Amino acid sequence: MEPALRFVNVSKDYLADGARVSALNGVNLEIGPGQFAALVGRSGCGKSTLLNLAGAMDFPTHGEVFIGGEPTSALDDARLTALRRRRIGFIFQSFQLLGTLSVAENVETPLLLAGERNARARALAALRWVDLENLAGRMPHQLSGGQMQRVAIARALVHEPSLILADEPTGNLDSATGNLVIGVLRRVAAERGVTVVMATHSAESAAAADLTVRLRDGRVEETAAR
Amino acid sequence: MGWGLILWRVLLRPLRREPARAGLTVLAVALGVAVTLAIDLAGEAAAGSFRSSVETLAGEADFEITAIGGVPEETVGALARLPLDLRVRARIEAAGFAPDGGFVNILGADFLEGADEAAAPAEGGMRRGALVSAAMGVAAAGEVRVRVGERTLAWPVAGVLPATAATRGVRLVLLDIADAQESVGRLGFVDRILIRGPRGMSPEQLEEALRGSLPDGVLLQPAGASTEENRKMLRAFRWNLRILSYIALIVGGFLIYNTISVSVVRRRADIGILRALGAGRAFVLGVFLAEALAIALVGSAAGVGLGRLLAEGSVAMIAGTVNALYVGSRPGAIVLTGPAVWLAASGGVVVALVAAWAPAREAAGVAPADAMGRGRKEYRERLRAGRLFGWSAALAAAAFALARLGPVDGKPFFGYGAALLAVAAGALAAPGLTRWGVRAAQAAAVQLAGIEGLLALRSLGATTRRTSVLVAALATAVAMMASVGIMVGSFRETMIVWLGDQLKADYFLARPGRSGTFDAALADRIAGLPEVAAVDRFRMYPISFRGLPSVLASGESRVVLTSGMTRFLDGDREDALDALPSCDCVIASEPFATKHGVRAGQTVELPLAGRMVRLRVLGVFYDYGNERGMLVMDRGRMLRHLPDTALTSLAIYAKPGSDPRAAIERLLAGAEVLLASNAELRRGAVTVFDRTFAITYALELVAILVAVMGVAGALLALVIDRRRELGLLRFLGASRGQVRKVILCEAGMIGLLANGAGLVLGVALALLLVFVINKQSFGWTIQFHWPVAALVSGLTVVYAATVAAAIYPGRVAARLNPIEVMHEE
Repeated sequence: MEPALRFVNVSKDYLADGARVSALNGVNLEIGPGQFAALVGRSGCGKSTLLNLAGAMDFPTHGEVFIGGEPTSALDDARLTALRRRRIGFIFQSFQLLGTLSVAENVETPLLLAGERNARARALAALRWVDLENLAGRMPHQLSGGQMQRVAIARALVHEPSLILADEPTGNLDSATGNLVIGVLRRVAAERGVTVVMATHSAESAAAADLTVRLRDGRVEETAAR
Repeated sequence: MGWGLILWRVLLRPLRREPARAGLTVLAVALGVAVTLAIDLAGEAAAGSFRSSVETLAGEADFEITAIGGVPEETVGALARLPLDLRVRARIEAAGFAPDGGFVNILGADFLEGADEAAAPAEGGMRRGALVSAAMGVAAAGEVRVRVGERTLAWPVAGVLPATAATRGVRLVLLDIADAQESVGRLGFVDRILIRGPRGMSPEQLEEALRGSLPDGVLLQPAGASTEENRKMLRAFRWNLRILSYIALIVGGFLIYNTISVSVVRRRADIGILRALGAGRAFVLGVFLAEALAIALVGSAAGVGLGRLLAEGSVAMIAGTVNALYVGSRPGAIVLTGPAVWLAASGGVVVALVAAWAPAREAAGVAPADAMGRGRKEYRERLRAGRLFGWSAALAAAAFALARLGPVDGKPFFGYGAALLAVAAGALAAPGLTRWGVRAAQAAAVQLAGIEGLLALRSLGATTRRTSVLVAALATAVAMMASVGIMVGSFRETMIVWLGDQLKADYFLARPGRSGTFDAALADRIAGLPEVAAVDRFRMYPISFRGLPSVLASGESRVVLTSGMTRFLDGDREDALDALPSCDCVIASEPFATKHGVRAGQTVELPLAGRMVRLRVLGVFYDYGNERGMLVMDRGRMLRHLPDTALTSLAIYAKPGSDPRAAIERLLAGAEVLLASNAELRRGAVTVFDRTFAITYALELVAILVAVMGVAGALLALVIDRRRELGLLRFLGASRGQVRKVILCEAGMIGLLANGAGLVLGVALALLLVFVINKQSFGWTIQFHWPVAALVSGLTVVYAATVAAAIYPGRVAARLNPIEVMHEE
């Protein structure tokens, strides 16, 4: 079976003040469909870079990234956008809800950007799945942190992607609320068969994952399955 | 030093980081300053030209004596015989045309006066010699040829005048006065007598001494009074242009306000830190005022240079208007004077500081903890649209009250004040309007533009304060365009209707350029043609009335009664025209009546051919032909006082079913007159009218340009401030095109609101322009008219320009690197 996400000898270099900085160096990685993977490691080890490459937001300097078997480096900007619309959902540490849109409007935004129909009904269904349908008409500033992150999860799920990328999803939450969010992500993988890749500093969060990938200085130091 | 360093770090560095946005604001100020300076310089050049070369050559004098129809030459002798040490110089002033059609000033002076003795009489019965300016292009010992009236005259050139400020670039022929009298047909008369009194004699004593030896019908006034009168006459026109030019500066002020507001929002946390580190409120206030000052100084410096260039382009347009509406003039040189530069530049600085005051004061008033803690939300929430709306209503009421007050010294100061209050009322209503408009348009925006429309409107709604400033700036420019458009359109329509009433004759005859006169015998021959039913012989004399230049004219009232103009606004038309031939009576044009407060039944006094004549005003008629105002007598009565039969123009009425054009043209062979049909004359009048208002369109264009640049700059700022949000959209699946579309939708909504608000404000300003400012400035009654096509096309262009202004910010937004902007957070 084709992995949901595959990195083949991937390197990513950046130029910082004219000097070349290696963010990822020869990364090989495979994450299967429906797996919940945690990326761990110190700050600057390459977790966010890996997530950006996995989300078709950036291209590797060397190597190849396959999303659902599709190589990203062969795609132009328009096709990458289409790929994101179809297959990828993002969750961020600071929730990143659009403050001017209501909860339901935030959730339906990916569908509307993709020009899909029944956006509102699907958004409400996604909110129902995270138990927040009753807050659909509220504005983001009227929600708690945990509620905001669950709305972000609903938004990441609404277009039924095969891959969800979460960058420190519990970083701005207390531990109880963080555990709640991790629970929802586990359900996403288990019940909906969506591959979840989560970057985290939290050992507690990482422990909930099926697979832990430890990064160090841009390389995969260790891969451990639960 | 320390404060200077901090100022540099917190003020100029951030500006340098956004060169495009800072540059747009500076350019907006520069354009505002440039336009005000250009209008001032060009207006001065156009007005300055009244002090013509001929006057400059006249030399120093204390008094001048003139009379309608010329001063009898015996007056010169009478003055010379006075037991005073007077210098008395007589002048003939006339115009002619060079063989290439160029305008030539002809000046007759007594060569024995002193300085002019170089031109000795020529021998052999030829005309005596002429001194010419270098611009005539004739060498000494050559011959100069000038067409005067229907004759072409030639003089041997006795010498070329030295190049001075008065003669440089001017075509001038200086003749001995006797030769000039004969050449231009003024035997027995002179046009002007210049008097220089003895040293130590006061002007009052000199005037007293001169009056005793002058006949009744001459005008004694301080030398240069006519120049001063012309300048005075032009004051209202120049004031109105100046006010229009200030609109661009006001629009620039809105943009400064916006720029400083954005700075306050962005540096709110910095303000808190500086305050926590010991900076006082005054320092914070000073930082933001200094930012506005820096923008204003750079903009003003650039504006002065640009203004000098714009003045070159404007002077021809202003001079065209002056020629069309007032009197013939030649634009003078543009002189960049210190006061003009100071006025324009200080205008830019004052507007900038006033505009920056409110946001700077707000920044200074914020407590350090608030600034560091709550960020920009509070700033957004402090908008009080309801209270501002109340102030707006109060200002609108005050504007209405001011509009009902009369002029001050002939100038509509209260009208200007009302216009300014109306603009301020519009600006204060903008936040409420923006909030309401954004909400009301949401459903339609989603319907038309999908999620991008929704995101755009929600974003605008969340930054109402910033958006409303943009709306106010653009609405002010649109209002100016709409109001001037409506005023000009109304004026144009009124004039076209008036031309239809006024121009009933089939053909009209006049000298080229409406300058000078032609022989009445030509009119008699035309009147004798079998195809011609009647002719109206018209003669105009420039006069001075109560210190203002005006016109005394004569026409054939019997012909006018049966065929000519129809509309009177005071007095009975039939009775007036019927009575004109049998009394010393006049009818007055509306501008004359308004300027001098003259009504039917009153009497005016004019000096005619050596005696003061009392003329009864029988009525007031609508006239849009010239702004100076005009008194019209019957030709027969006029000839009793001024027996010069030459004509300024001739109206020719054809017999029904016949066209006398061919026959008239045969009679005109070789004569320097132009024949125009009724349709040609009307077309010509409309063309002149359109040319006259070209300068107002140019001013509108600049104001709109400034506003549109402001929209571009502000959208750029919004893009920079919202980069995280825009980056997030890319993560959520938005294409670059969709991000660009969000920005274009925002510009589209700003354009829509500004066009709507601008149109409403524009109509209010148009009412002020038509019924208050124009009426008090020029005395014309204009019928209100909607120039629908012009308005629709103008608003469409503004809207398209506003959306186009979003193209660059949209491109910047689309090219944002989503990873970078998300990482910043």
